[in-house]
This record gives sequence, C-alpha cells and structure tokens, in this order.
Amino acid sequence: METNKGIVFDIQRFSVHDGPGIRSIVFLKGCPLRCRWCSNPESQNKEPQIMFIERNCIGCGRCTEVCPTGALQIVPSFKIDYNQCTKCGKCVDVCYSEALNFSGNTRSVEEVMGELKKDHIHYKRSGGGITLSGGEPLSQPEYAEELLKACKAKGWHTAIETTAYTSGTVLEKVLPWLDLVLLDIKHTDDQKHQEFVGRSNEKILENARYIGQFGVPIIIRVPVIPTFNDGENEIKSIASFASSIKGVKEVHLLPYHRLGENKYGYLNYDYRMKGIQPPTNEKMQGLKKVVEEKGLLCKIGG
Amino acid sequence: MPTVTVEPSLRIQNLIDVLYEVTPEIEAERAVLITESYKETEAYPMVIRRAKALENILTKMTIVIRDHELIVGNLTTKPRASQVFPEFSNKWLVEEFETLEKRKGDVFLISEDTKAKLREVFKYWEGKTTNELATQLMFPETREAMDAGVFTVGNYYFNGVGHIGVDYEKVLTKGFNGIIAEVEAAKARADKADPDYIKKDHFLNAVLITANAVIAYAQRFAEEARKLAGRTKDVKRKNELYQIADNCENVPANPSKNFYEALQSFWFVQAVIQIESNGHSISPLRFDQYMYPYYKNDLANGTLTAEEAQELLDALWVKFNDVNKVRDEGSTKAFGGYPMFQNLIVGGQTADGRDAVNPLSFACLQATANTKLPQPSISIRYWNKTPDELMFKAGEVTRLGLGMPAYYNDEVIIPSLVSRGVSLSDARDYGIIGCVEPQKGGKTEGWHDAAFFNMAKVLEITINNGLMDGKQIGLKTGEFTSYTTFEEFLAAYQQQMEYLVRLLINADNSVDLAHGERAPLPFLSSMVDDCIGKGKSLQEGGALYNFTGPQGVGVANVGDSLMAIKQLVFDEKKVSLAELKHALDTNFGQGQVQTSPNFSLDQLTQETLVEVIKKLIVEGNNISLDMLKNATNVKVDLGSNKDQEYLRQLLENRAPKFGNDIDEVDTLAREAALIYCREVEKYRNPRGGSFQPGLYPVSANVPMGAQTGATPDGRKAGEPLADGVSPVSGRDKTGPTAAANSIAKLDHHIASNGTLFNQKFHPSAISGQTGLENLSALVRGYFDQKGMHVQFNVVSRETLIKAQKNPEKYKNLVVRVAGYSAHFTSLDKTIQDDIINRTEQAF
Repeated sequence: METNKGIVFDIQRFSVHDGPGIRSIVFLKGCPLRCRWCSNPESQNKEPQIMFIERNCIGCGRCTEVCPTGALQIVPSFKIDYNQCTKCGKCVDVCYSEALNFSGNTRSVEEVMGELKKDHIHYKRSGGGITLSGGEPLSQPEYAEELLKACKAKGWHTAIETTAYTSGTVLEKVLPWLDLVLLDIKHTDDQKHQEFVGRSNEKILENARYIGQFGVPIIIRVPVIPTFNDGENEIKSIASFASSIKGVKEVHLLPYHRLGENKYGYLNYDYRMKGIQPPTNEKMQGLKKVVEEKGLLCKIGG
Repeated sequence: MPTVTVEPSLRIQNLIDVLYEVTPEIEAERAVLITESYKETEAYPMVIRRAKALENILTKMTIVIRDHELIVGNLTTKPRASQVFPEFSNKWLVEEFETLEKRKGDVFLISEDTKAKLREVFKYWEGKTTNELATQLMFPETREAMDAGVFTVGNYYFNGVGHIGVDYEKVLTKGFNGIIAEVEAAKARADKADPDYIKKDHFLNAVLITANAVIAYAQRFAEEARKLAGRTKDVKRKNELYQIADNCENVPANPSKNFYEALQSFWFVQAVIQIESNGHSISPLRFDQYMYPYYKNDLANGTLTAEEAQELLDALWVKFNDVNKVRDEGSTKAFGGYPMFQNLIVGGQTADGRDAVNPLSFACLQATANTKLPQPSISIRYWNKTPDELMFKAGEVTRLGLGMPAYYNDEVIIPSLVSRGVSLSDARDYGIIGCVEPQKGGKTEGWHDAAFFNMAKVLEITINNGLMDGKQIGLKTGEFTSYTTFEEFLAAYQQQMEYLVRLLINADNSVDLAHGERAPLPFLSSMVDDCIGKGKSLQEGGALYNFTGPQGVGVANVGDSLMAIKQLVFDEKKVSLAELKHALDTNFGQGQVQTSPNFSLDQLTQETLVEVIKKLIVEGNNISLDMLKNATNVKVDLGSNKDQEYLRQLLENRAPKFGNDIDEVDTLAREAALIYCREVEKYRNPRGGSFQPGLYPVSANVPMGAQTGATPDGRKAGEPLADGVSPVSGRDKTGPTAAANSIAKLDHHIASNGTLFNQKFHPSAISGQTGLENLSALVRGYFDQKGMHVQFNVVSRETLIKAQKNPEKYKNLVVRVAGYSAHFTSLDKTIQDDIINRTEQAF
C-alpha cells in the first residue's frame, strides 16, 4: 500500500471522550492484539471485511443472485462461505437495505482530510482536534504519520489512541506530530496479558517509558474488565507503573461495556465475554480511589 | 458575574402544587360577559364595542387571589383553566363538547352547566365571527387547497392572533395613566377636519376605555387583598396581602416604584392581553432589559435581597403557567401540550450594540431551573461577545432536560430584520415571539404564525400533475413520466409552488381582513407604537412594522426527495420515473395504510389488517405467510411488495441525506427552502406590510405528514415530515456537528420569520464542566456558520419510553417539542413517538 493510502473503517465526528474538546476520530483498521473484550472487532483484521447486519435484511435475495462464486446463502439463514468469497463487493452493491456492508475502505490522506476539515470550526471553538484510533493506528505507520502531519499543518490538536504495541522506529516518526498520547495499559502481569490479549506486554511497557521520555503528554487508559483486571491490586499495579512514567498525570478507567457484542455477530465471530456484566459504579468509584492514592488524576470514562 | 444559586422556596413548590393538582377545565364566564356586552353595543363602531366588552369582562369577572400568591391577576377562576372566545369561532367547540375530556392530548374538563351557558351564548354569534367572515373572503380554490392539506391557516382562522410583544417598559415607567395622557394629547392634537378623524377618535376613545378598565381591574385586586388580609390570622400572610393591595393600588395605573411593583404591573399587562384575545405567544421578550433597572436599584439600596428577588421572579414564572387555552382536537396535534408560547429572552446586545447581559439575565435562567415548568419559554440571545458564563449557565439549564433555553444568533437575526426594513437599533433590540420568530417588541404586528405550508405536499402535487384525489388542486405542469431532465422537474415544482403560494397569500389576507374588521384590539394596540400616533388599531395597520409569516414545513423531505430523483433517476438511472411513480402511488406496495394520528385499532377492517400484517412481514417480522393465510382467509401476494420495499431501500440508502454535511444534498435542501421563501417574500398584507417566510413546524410536521403520501426520499405515506430545518428523524447519522453544518448551509437570513433546529442529546454527552464547554462550543460553532436557532432536548430515550408507558409516574417530565416545551405525558402518542424517534446523539 502506498503511504498516502490507508484502510479506514470509520470517521466519527463530535467525539467528546477521546482527548480535549470536540474531535473527529479516524479509525484505522488492523490490530496486532486480540483483546477478548474488543468493542470494535471489525478493526482487528487489516483487510476490508464483509459484515452482515441481520436486522437490516429484507430477504430480497439479490445478494445470492449476483455472487459470482456462490459464497452466499440466505435460506434458511444467512451465511457467507469465507473460503469462496473473493470480496468482489457485488453483493454489497446490490444490498440497498445495508444489511451487507464493507468494513474498511481504502482512503487517501486527502480524502480523509476532506472529511476532517468539515469540523474545523468546531475544533477551534472547543479546543478540540483529531484523534487517530483503531485497531492499532500504528499498524499503518506511514499512513498515520502522513495524516498527523497534514493535521498539524492545519494547526489542529492531534492525539492518538494506541496500544503501544509497535516499534521504537515507528514511535520516533509519529511522536513529533502528536500533542497527546492516549495509551492503553491493560495489565502489568505478562502471563495474564498474554492470555487475554494474545501478546506480551513487554514491548508495550517499554514503549510507554519511551514516549514519556520523548516528552509528549500521556494519558493512561485502562479498560476495566471483570475476570481480567478489575481487582484493586491489579489496578494499583497499573497505577504504580503509570506514576513512574514521565508525562503521565492522568489515568482513565474505562468500564467494560457490551456495545460491541452485536458486531461479533455481523462478522460471524465468537464473543468470548458472553454473560459478563459491566462493573458497577460503586466498584469503579473504589478503583478510582486506588488510582488517586498514587497521586494521579483519575476519570471514569474518557 | 454573580450567579444566584438559591433553591426554590417552599412557597414556590406550594404554588406549583396548586396549579397542577387539577385537570384543566373550561369556564364560560368570559363568553357570557362578552356576549352580554356585544348585545348592548350593537349601535357602536366595532373598536368601541371591543373596548366596552373588555371593560365589562374586567369589571364583572370573578377575581381570585390563589393561596401563597405574591403576584396576582387571574384569567380564570380555577387554575390553568380556559376561557372561551366566541367572537373568533365557536362551532367546533360545541362539536367537541363530548370529546374534550376523552381526547388523547390536551384534555379539558367541561361541566354540563358550562356547556349549557356556552350553547346559549353561541346562538348570538351565528355569522358574526372572524372565522365566518374569513371563509367568505377566500377564493374557492384556496379553500380546496386547504382541504387537500397544502397549507393550514388554522391558528388565526379560528382564534385570536396574539404573537406579539408589547412595550412593557412604557407601562412600567409611565403606567396606564401615562398612556391616558398620551391619548388625550393625541386627541387634542387631532384636526377635526381630517377625513380620518372620526375613525381615529373612535380608536383613541376605545384605548381610554380599556386603560381605565385595567386600572379598575387592578383596584379590584387591591380590595380583594385587603379583604383577605382582614380575615387571615397568619401574620406573615396578612402582611403579604397588604403588600399585594398596596402594589395593586399603585400599578399598573402609575409608574412602578420598585421591582416587586414592576413584576405586578407586568403581570397585569400579560393577563389582560390574554383576556382581551386568545391569541397565544404573548411574549415578554427582553424581560432582563426592561426589568433590570428596578432589580438593580432594589438590590443596591438594600430594599430587596437577591434571594427575595429570586422568589418573586420564581412566583411570576409559576404564574405564567396559570394561562391556558382550549384548542380544537386537530390543532392539539400541531400544538400539543397546552402550550402558550410566552417567550422570554435574555442576553444579546443593546440597541446601541453593546453586550446586554446583566445579573437579571442569570436570575431569569435560575427561575426556570427552580420552577422546572414549561412556561415561560426561556431563550438566550447569542453574539460573539456573549460571555462564557452565560453560555455555561444556559448549558446548566439545558442539562435539566426541559428543552430550554433556546439559543438565538444575533449575527443572523439582526441583518435579517434590517433586510426587512427594520432600523438597525430596533433590529438590535429584537426579542423572540412564540417559538422562534424574531420581532422588535412594542413596534411590530408580526402575524408570525400565519400558516403552515406543506412543501412536501407541493412535491406530491407536482408528481401527480396537479391532481390530488381526483381534484385539480395545483397546475397541470406535466406528467411525471414525461420529464427528461432533473431541471425540468425542478422547474415544474417551482411553478406549482408559485401557484400554491398565491393561494396561501389569499387565505392569510382573508383572515387578516376579517380580524381588522371584526376583532380590533384596543388594549393591546395601546402598548404598540405607533397605534396611538396613527389612531389605528394593530389589526388595521397601526404598528410601525407589519409582517405576515407563514412557515414552510418539510425542507429536509423535499431536499432528500430532490436528491433521490436527481441521482437515482436521472444521473445513475437506477430507477425509472414510471417505477418511482408506481411505488409512490402504492405507498411502496403497502397500500395507503397511514400511520396517521387518527388511526386506531377499533377502525381496523380486515383489509387494513391484511395491509398491516403484510407490512410487518416486509419489515422482517417473524410472521409467516401461512399464518396470515390461515388467520384471514385472504390470499396475499408478497412478491411485488418485496420489490417495492427494495426500491424504497434504494431511495432511502443510496442517495445522500440532508443532515450529514454532504454538499450535494445540502445544496438541494437549501434550494428547496429558497424556492418557498423567495415566493413568499414577494407579497404584501392588508396592514401595509410584507410577507416573510419562516421554516419551523411547531409540531405540525406530524399531522402534515399524516396527510402526505409516500415521497421519493423513501418516506412512507403518513409518516411525520422533518421537524423545522432539522434533518429527517433518524437520517442524521454523522453526529451533531454534521447536522449543524448541514443546517447552517441553508439561507437563514431569508427565513426571517424564524428557523428551528432541534438537537437531542443523551445527558452523558454534556456532563461535567467539559460537557458545558463542549455544548457552548457547539452552539458557537453552529452560529459561526450563520445558523439562526438551536435548542436541545437532553433526556434519555429510555426515560421517554418509560414515561410513555407509565405517564402517571412522569407527570412532571418536560420536553421540548419543536418550538416550545411541554409536559411529555400530555402529548398525543404520535407526537410522543416522534420525539422518541428523533435521533439521539449519545456517546
């Protein structure tokens, strides 16, 4: 892929929880991690994917008529045979009711800037700007860098929401164009991290220190996931780590939510968090105190 | 700037309880008294008869000082009751006597005694009402277009006009004795040889009668208060009643000496205007400006503490909710929730262009926060120099979920009024009438709510070559299938618009003349310049500025429809005109099952039942064809319906929609609005003023949608039209900034009678100080791009659904419906559904 083009799966405007002011978030596709609670499962795979939203389907059957490989069936229920699907997109084209959608489009920096520009007055009025998110936005490093440069050229505030699962070289390239890093720390215990996230946390913790040294302000964000890291000791350990990083003054505790669950269905993925309840408000308040005891500001939610 | 943070006192809660413990009732007293007077004055000129009638009412009506009241002046014996105004129209009321208590929204009780009294007096009015005269004046084709649902002039056709803000300051500073002196001077100046002298003199004499009548009315309250004080044992209340008596002895006859008197004087004006006529939207306008000298003075010299001033203000706020109006059932669908639209605005700039915000601006917002009632409709004026503190205070009130305040942009409204001939200093001193209509108070007869005009209906008529239900309502502009370019079709739409707007003008001017002839209002006219100078009532053109403002409804539907036709028919050729026409004719294969507000289960025939179930199947509900066949014995062919639904999905999803910040469609919506606005502004009214268009629906978008067939934007027959300049409900999928940007691309300057943008927020989107800052930034950002008005509903969808299911638990839930706030549970279910369905911007 050329550096000027990337795979974007959404641009969300009037975002008020991912950095200061009114912001637009650009969601880049592709992520090296596989967090079980991921609320954007369509972000994980780097390639565009076909999603099926059953409640939109009017059962017209036109998708099966146009599919050149016979990968689709709608009777008795909808099914895509992903082995046969060539992602030609013909079914999506004829699906006017938008039951079939492509998640992820190839978009140039100029195209994305055209969208972002639309809210420039609101960025200015609110002290907002843009936030790159994903997936892991740094899994498309050159594109992320180009986008951030273009935004800085407009004078906008820039932020990134990252897992920090990337290389030092990549960080070195993007950090000069960033005003704020929203950095996910999920667990300090590597074994547990590997079990729930699919990767080691070693590189993440190391990169966190590196970003701190670089001098860009950091907000540590912790998804609070029952059965994974919602114990006081686990949060305390993350808070201790956070307070040791230069440039970290604030921690956001993001309570687990189930809003992404239906998207697993759209993609025919298994949802491995079934039946798990979001943490209660009292629980979150307790964890907030734990963080504050480490001398950090703490917010629940972004 | 100091922000008052006192809590509402126990008294205020008591006052609210007194108002809301009863169901509103209809009272006959006024109708009886006006009829009595009219019978005695048949030999007099109309304006004198009107004055004498008001005098008779004010002299004889029952006066009541309610428990705990500090500000007095009742319109009805019982709280929130409604008087009857037979001089405007009355037949509908008799017809609805039996359903008033049972209807779905805006219920009124009515006793058998009241019915009998009203039946008796209505006999006198046969042929004498403004409504009957207006009907006589209209052309037959105008009436046909109205019957076909192209527009409605129902508001003033059946009721008084209202929609005005008077020169309250004149009453506060001079009193009615001052007005009497002004009239005497005018009389002395007049040249008896002037051919207009006789008529002028009649008018001036009428003003004298009403000015003296209102002074006498206040005296009755003074006496009543003393009487009650004599009987009361509670020393505190006794002193309060003596104070009330002192106040009523001095005002509104004389200049107000302090804040309390000024509030009392204000209320007498507000009440008597609404006894003289039942025209609603009697708007206090820039209350924080003309009241501030009294507030400031009392606080500075220590005669009043901020807390005491706040309690008086809160008490007045409650009083605003004691005013009510019975409307016919049809109108309750367009004006749901007992609305009175008394719009009170704070902030903005002074007549000489400085920032006008003062501590009273904050206290007014606080009064709304304390009372949490729908009235007054509180608004704020915004310009670049509006301090953040006021924006944050306004944001705090917004967060209460009352749908208030509404925000108005000076940077659009001032030049817009100037373009209509209002002087710069008058334009800077504008206030808002009713929902969203800008006016310079005390100098204008704006006729702001002249009509609702269904733009989507014009589109439907164009598609049907002028025919509606077999009648030639519009012009023969050509068969829909005959157009070869989009531009040809657009030209036909424009031609239909030109023709139908002319009929609208005829309807409005007929009603206007009828009011001039049969319902001049001398009391109201005495407080608006330059009626006394000209010797003319408002209804005959006495005001300095005269307008007529009819509203276009369905901007987004027409914009989206034009986009779908342009792109899918002409550019991409995905559907032919014939296919589209067939789909619209058959309501996308669903037949004309309308989700109209009148649709109820007991009206279900087997045929409609089948249509409903077909619809359910098409929408993917879990009902099988066999089940349906077994249950109904009717053969159902679903094949073609599925194709039709597929086509509807194409229209709905494969052409861009207004409200998502997409230039192509936003430009067409702008053009759609302009086609209407440019037509309307060509015309003049009988009062010597011009027409000026507005783009807001109150809640007329719901009944108008019920009367409109399927549209090319994929909207099914009977579904509500878009609200004001807001996107079609549910189609603004790109968030609030995108919706705001789209709407700001419309030309708000030309819609000088007001535009309305409704934005709904989940509370979490604007929580905390950050939330206030973001809300303020969003308003500023929208206004930077020349939007005119925005208001926010901050309440969760879940709450609304719960309230709909358990109305008794949510009696106090106030939501913003279009241009005003109403108690949610008092609304018709279809309006409730519409509010629930408006896109919720949750984060």
